Amino acid sequence: MNARPIVFAACVLALAFFGGCGEKPTVTVYKQGQYQGKPDNVPWQSQPFNNDKASWETAIKARNNGQNEYLRVGTQ
Amino acid sequence: MLLTRKATGAVAPAHSRLTHPVTSMLGRTVDRRTFLKRSGIAFGAGAVASQLPFSIVDEARAADQAPASAIEVKRTVCTHCSVGCAIDAHVQNGVWIRQEPVFDSPINLGAHCAKGASIREHGMTHDSHRLKYPMKLVGGKWQRIAWDQALNEVSQKMAQIKKESGADATFWIGSSKHNNEQSYLFRKFVSMFGTNNMDHQARICHSTTVAGVANTWGYGAMTNSYNDEQNSKCILFFGSNAAEAHPVSMLHTLHAKEKGAKVIVVDPRFTRTAAKADKYYRIRSGTDVAFLMGMLHHIFKNGWEDKAYIQARVYGMDKVREEAARWTPEECERVTGMKEAEVRDVAESLAKNRPSTIVWAMGQTQHTNGNAIVRASCIVQLALGNIGVPGGGANIYRGHDNVQGATDIGPNPDSLPGYYGVATGSWKHFAAVWGVDYEWLKAQFQTQTMMEKPGITVSRWIDAVLEKNELLDQDSNVRAVVYWGHAPNSQNRGKEMLEAMKKLDLLVVVDPYPSATAAMGAMARKENMYLLPAATQLECEGSVTASNRSLQWRERVIEPMFESRTDHMIMYQLAQKFGFAKEFVAKIKLQKGKGGMDEPSMEDTLREINRGMWTIGYTGQSPERLQAHMRNMHVFDVKTLRAKGGKDAKTGYVLDGDYYGLPWPCYGTPELKHPGSPNLYQTSRHIMDGGGNFRANFGVERDGVSLLAEDGSHSLNADITTGYPEFDHVLMKKLGWWEELTPEEQKLAEGKNWKTDLSGGIQRVVMKNHGCHPWGNAKARAMVWNFPDGVPLHREALFSPRPDLIDKYPTHADQKVRWRMPVLFKTVQDANKNAVQQYPLIMTSGRLVEYEGGGDETRSNPWLAELQQEMFVEINPKDANDRGVRNNEYVWVETPTKTKLKVKTLVTERVAPGTVFLPFHFAGWWQGQDLLNYYPEGSAPFVRGEAVNTAMTYGYDIVTMMQETKTSLCQVAKA
Amino acid sequence: MARMKFLCDAERCIECNGCVTACKQEHEIPWGVNRRRVVTLNDGLPGEKSISVACMHCSDAPCMAVCPVDCFYKTSEGVVLHDKDLCIGCGYCFYACPFGAPQFPQDGAFGLRGKMDKCTFCAGGPEQDHSAVEFKKYGRNRLAEGKLPACAEMCSTKALLGGDGDVVADIYRTRVLTRGKGSEVWGWGTAYGKPETQQPAQPPAPKT
Repeated sequence: MNARPIVFAACVLALAFFGGCGEKPTVTVYKQGQYQGKPDNVPWQSQPFNNDKASWETAIKARNNGQNEYLRVGTQ
Repeated sequence: MLLTRKATGAVAPAHSRLTHPVTSMLGRTVDRRTFLKRSGIAFGAGAVASQLPFSIVDEARAADQAPASAIEVKRTVCTHCSVGCAIDAHVQNGVWIRQEPVFDSPINLGAHCAKGASIREHGMTHDSHRLKYPMKLVGGKWQRIAWDQALNEVSQKMAQIKKESGADATFWIGSSKHNNEQSYLFRKFVSMFGTNNMDHQARICHSTTVAGVANTWGYGAMTNSYNDEQNSKCILFFGSNAAEAHPVSMLHTLHAKEKGAKVIVVDPRFTRTAAKADKYYRIRSGTDVAFLMGMLHHIFKNGWEDKAYIQARVYGMDKVREEAARWTPEECERVTGMKEAEVRDVAESLAKNRPSTIVWAMGQTQHTNGNAIVRASCIVQLALGNIGVPGGGANIYRGHDNVQGATDIGPNPDSLPGYYGVATGSWKHFAAVWGVDYEWLKAQFQTQTMMEKPGITVSRWIDAVLEKNELLDQDSNVRAVVYWGHAPNSQNRGKEMLEAMKKLDLLVVVDPYPSATAAMGAMARKENMYLLPAATQLECEGSVTASNRSLQWRERVIEPMFESRTDHMIMYQLAQKFGFAKEFVAKIKLQKGKGGMDEPSMEDTLREINRGMWTIGYTGQSPERLQAHMRNMHVFDVKTLRAKGGKDAKTGYVLDGDYYGLPWPCYGTPELKHPGSPNLYQTSRHIMDGGGNFRANFGVERDGVSLLAEDGSHSLNADITTGYPEFDHVLMKKLGWWEELTPEEQKLAEGKNWKTDLSGGIQRVVMKNHGCHPWGNAKARAMVWNFPDGVPLHREALFSPRPDLIDKYPTHADQKVRWRMPVLFKTVQDANKNAVQQYPLIMTSGRLVEYEGGGDETRSNPWLAELQQEMFVEINPKDANDRGVRNNEYVWVETPTKTKLKVKTLVTERVAPGTVFLPFHFAGWWQGQDLLNYYPEGSAPFVRGEAVNTAMTYGYDIVTMMQETKTSLCQVAKA
Repeated sequence: MARMKFLCDAERCIECNGCVTACKQEHEIPWGVNRRRVVTLNDGLPGEKSISVACMHCSDAPCMAVCPVDCFYKTSEGVVLHDKDLCIGCGYCFYACPFGAPQFPQDGAFGLRGKMDKCTFCAGGPEQDHSAVEFKKYGRNRLAEGKLPACAEMCSTKALLGGDGDVVADIYRTRVLTRGKGSEVWGWGTAYGKPETQQPAQPPAPKT
C-alpha cells in the first residue's frame, strides 16, 4: 500500500537526476555567413528517384513543360 | 488611391505590423483582397486560426506506419463551375490526401482557380462544417435524429399533404450540382410523386438563354466551346465576368489574345475580365438590347452583314433591320450612355475580325427582358454569319458544374428529360423508356391536365405559397418545399421568402451543407423542418456536362462522409416509402452503396438516358465511351477537341475522331460512334463528323415565306442539298429510305419520328447513309413570332433609374397566368416610376472568384473563406463622398422593398458614379443580424454576411420567369 | 544544373487566387499565414495588373545576408530554405525581403511571433524527405517527388511559372514574342539580376 509513493518518488528523483544526461547544448556558436543548421539532401536522393539524377531531371522537365500550354496546344 | 478592402477590427496586431512594410513597398496600392486582411483573423475565425489541422495527413501517415497501403488515384472533375476542370485525387486508406493537376486534360490543361485548387478540403474531417447527420427542428432548436426517423417523418408528411391537397401542393427544388444521372432520376422521382412542380438553378441562371436561343436556332446551349475561342479573332464579353466566374476559361481567352485576337468587354463594371481586355466600354445596366440594336444599326448601315449567309440561313432579318434603323447613335447613347464611336468600334471590331464570338452569362440573362437580350445577341452573330463557324458562335457560359446537364435532362417544370415537353406523347415516350405503364404514371398525377401543365418555377415558389389561392392556376397553394441541393439566397425578394417559409407546412433540406435555408428556416419556424445530409459529387460517381456540352465521367473519390448518403440513394429510399421504388428503377440495376444499402447504379442510369434522349443526342455517350475518354485525355487536341488517333488500353476502344467528352448532340446509339458535336450548326462538316445545321422546329413556312434553308445550304455531303423538314417514318418512306432500316428497327420506328424512335434506326439511316440531319435543315429565326416580342425590344427595367424613358420603352402589361400564377410588370414599373428620387443608385450584383453559387460550401472551406471575409458594396468615390462614407466602413444598403443590408464599403472606380455592385454568394446575416445561432451547431460557414437577394426587388422575364438581379435601385447610407 | 525560379506573367494573372489556395492545401498552411499571395496594382482602374508573389528564391538573397543566426541555406537548385530549429523568429528577414515573403505564424497562447515560415518552392526542408516532421515544419517536398510547386502547376491561366529558370525563361520568351510585349517583367531584376554563375540564361547578341 504505502510502497507506491516511495517508488513514485524514487522514479521522479531518478528522472530528475538522469534527465540531464539527454540534454543537448542549447547554445549554438554562430559563424557569420555560414549556415548553421541541419544538412539537407538533394531532391533526387530519396524515393522515388534513389539517386537517379537523370530521371529526376526528366521528371522535372516534363512537369515544367506542363506549364507551357503552347506545347499542349500545338502549332496546328 | 488606396483601395483596401477591409481588414476587420479583429486583425491580429502582430501581423498587421509585420505586413506594413510590404504594403508600402508596393506603392501604397493594395487591391481589395489585400493580403493585409488575410493576415487578420475575423468572424470567429480566431477559433480555427493556427489550429487548422495537419490532421488528415497525420491520420494517413499514422495509418501507414502499419503496412503502407497503396495510394489510389481517382480522376474526377471540379464541382465549382461549368468549365469542367479535371482533378487527380490521391486517396489512401479511404482518405483523400492529395490533389494533383491533370496536364493532359484538353479543357483545363492542369489549371485551377482558387476553388478548384482547394477542392481537397472536401475530404477533411477535422473541423468540417458539413451537415453531418439528419436533423429536425424541435421547438425552434436543431435536434439530431436517425435516418430512418427522418425518412419516415418526411415521407409521411409529404404523403399527407399529397392526400389532402394534391401532389401539386408540394414543390421540389433540384440541383444543378447533381450529376446527369441524379438530375435525370430527380425528374423521374418527382414525376412519379405526381407533379411538375420542380425546378433547379437553371431557372435563375440561363433559362432566358435556353428559351431564347433554342427558339432562334435549335438548341439553347453554348454553340462552341471555351477551347474554340482559340480560333476566334475577336471576342466580345458582354454580360460575363469570366475572370471571376470561369477563371480557367481565361486560359483559352488569353492564349487567343496572345495570338492576336481582340478582346473587348462591355459591362457596367470595370471587371477583372475588363482589366485583361484590349478595350473596355461602360454601359448603363439593363440597356443591353439598346446596345445590341445600336451595333446592328452600324452593321447594316455599313453593309458589314454577311448577306449570303443571311439569305441562305436566316429568317426574319428584315424585321430586325427595321428595328435597328430606329436605334440611331443618338438614341443609343441616350439610352445606354455609350458614345457613337464606342458602339461603332465594337461593331466594327466584330465585323472586321471574323470569326468573332460573343460571350455572355448572367449579365444578359438575369433581366426582366432577358429573353430579348439573348436573342438580340444571337441576331448580331447571325447578321455577321458567325454561327456554325469555328471561332464564332454564341459562347454562353453556364454556371454550376452540371447546370447544362441538369437543364438538358433534369428537373424542369416544363419539360421531361431531353426537352421533351410535358405533352401526352412525351409522357408515353418516357413511360416506355422508364419501363412503366403510361396509365399508372398518369394516375400518379391529380389529373391529366395537371400532368401536362408546366409547373411552378423556383423563382416564384414564394408566390405559390403567399399568393391568393383563386389567382393560382392550380388547386392548392404550395404547402411543402424541398430544397435539394439549392441555396435560398440565390433567389430575389428574400424578405418575402422568409414569410413564405413561415407559412409552409413542411420544409425539407437535402444538402451536403445545412445551407442558408437551415438558418432562415430556423429563424422563421419552430417545427416541421428537416435537414438530410447528402453526399457531394466527389463522394459518388457519374457523368457531368460542361458548358461546352462535353460529358466527363467522375470516379468516386471517397465514401460519403459522416452520415451523408448519395442523392440517388435518398431518392430511392424515399421512393420506397412512397411505394414506387419498383417503378423508379424498373430498368435500372441496383448496386450496394454506403453501408450495404441499395442505390441505383449510375452507369446503368446513364444507359437508360442513352436509350431515351434522342432529341439532344445524349444517346451516344455510353459510360464505356466516356470512361475511355477520361483515361486517354492526352490524345485530344486542345483547339479542336478532337482525338488524333488513340486506343484505350483497358477496353481496346478506338478513340480516333471522337471529340472530347462526346459533346452533345452525339446522336444515335453508342455503336454508331457519332463523334459528338464540338460546334453546333457547322455546315462545313459532315453530320457524322460533328457537323450540322439549324433546326426545322417551327414548320416549313410562315406567311408564305419558307422557313427551310435555301438551296446549297446544308451540312457537308448531305444527300439533300437544300432545306428539308425533320424526319419521321412518313418522310423516310416517301424518300424510299425506310427499307434501309433493319426489320427490328422498322418495328420500333413505325409511327415514330427521329425523337421518339427507340431503335435509333431513323437517326442511323438519315445520318450515316445519307449525311442528313435528323431534325431537318431550316433557317434560324431572327424573328421569334411565338414570343411576346418577336423582334427583341428594349424595355426599361421595372425599377428604372430613367423615368423619362419609361413612356417610350415601357415594360410588358401584367400577365394573369404565367407558369401557374400572375406576374406583374406595368403595375410595378408605374408604382416605382419615381423610386429613383429616393433610391438614386443602380444596384447590380455578381460573382467573386473565391465563392460559388449561394456560397455555403465555399464559405465553409477555410482556404477560400480566408480570402474573402466580408460582404461588401462597391461604390464610386463620388457617391461615397456625397454620402460621407469612407472605404471599409459599414453602410446600410436599402432598396425600394424597405429592406436594409449592413455591408462594408469598397470605394472604387470599378463602378461608375450612380452604380453600386454587391457580390451575391453571401448569406447568414439578416438585415444586420448574424444568424450564427440558427445554424446547427458547428456547421455554420466560416464567413457569413448579408445576402444581396434579401433586398433584391421584384421582376421576372415574361417567357421564363427568370428573376431580375442585375438592374434595380438602392440608396446607401452610413451605418 | 537546374536553377529553380518563379515568374509571374502580369499579362495573364487574373487574380483568381488559385496559387494561394493551391499552396494552402498542399502544405496545410494555417489561417493567417500566406506563403503566397496575389497583389493587384491600380485595382479597379484601367491598367489594373495583378501578380502572384512569394519567396523569389533570390540569387543573392537579402534574408540570408541579414539572418543573425544564419539559419538560411541554398540548395544546389537555387532554392532558399531555412532551418526552423535554428530560427529565432526575430523578423530581420522580413524587413530585408523586397517581396514580403517571410511569414510569422502566431505561436503560443499570447500570439507571440513564431518561427519564420515561407515558401519552400515545395522543396521541404532539412529533415528526412517525405517524413511527417518535414511536412509539419516545411510542408510537402514536391521537388523530391519530381514535381514542381503546386501554385505554378495549378495556375488558372498559366500566368505563374515555376521551375528550371531556363525553361521558365523559354516559356515566357515565347509569349513575349507572340504578343509583342511584357519583357519588362516585374521582379525579374531583383530575382534574376545577379546570377551566381557567370552564365546568363540568354547570352547577349553579338554586336555587329
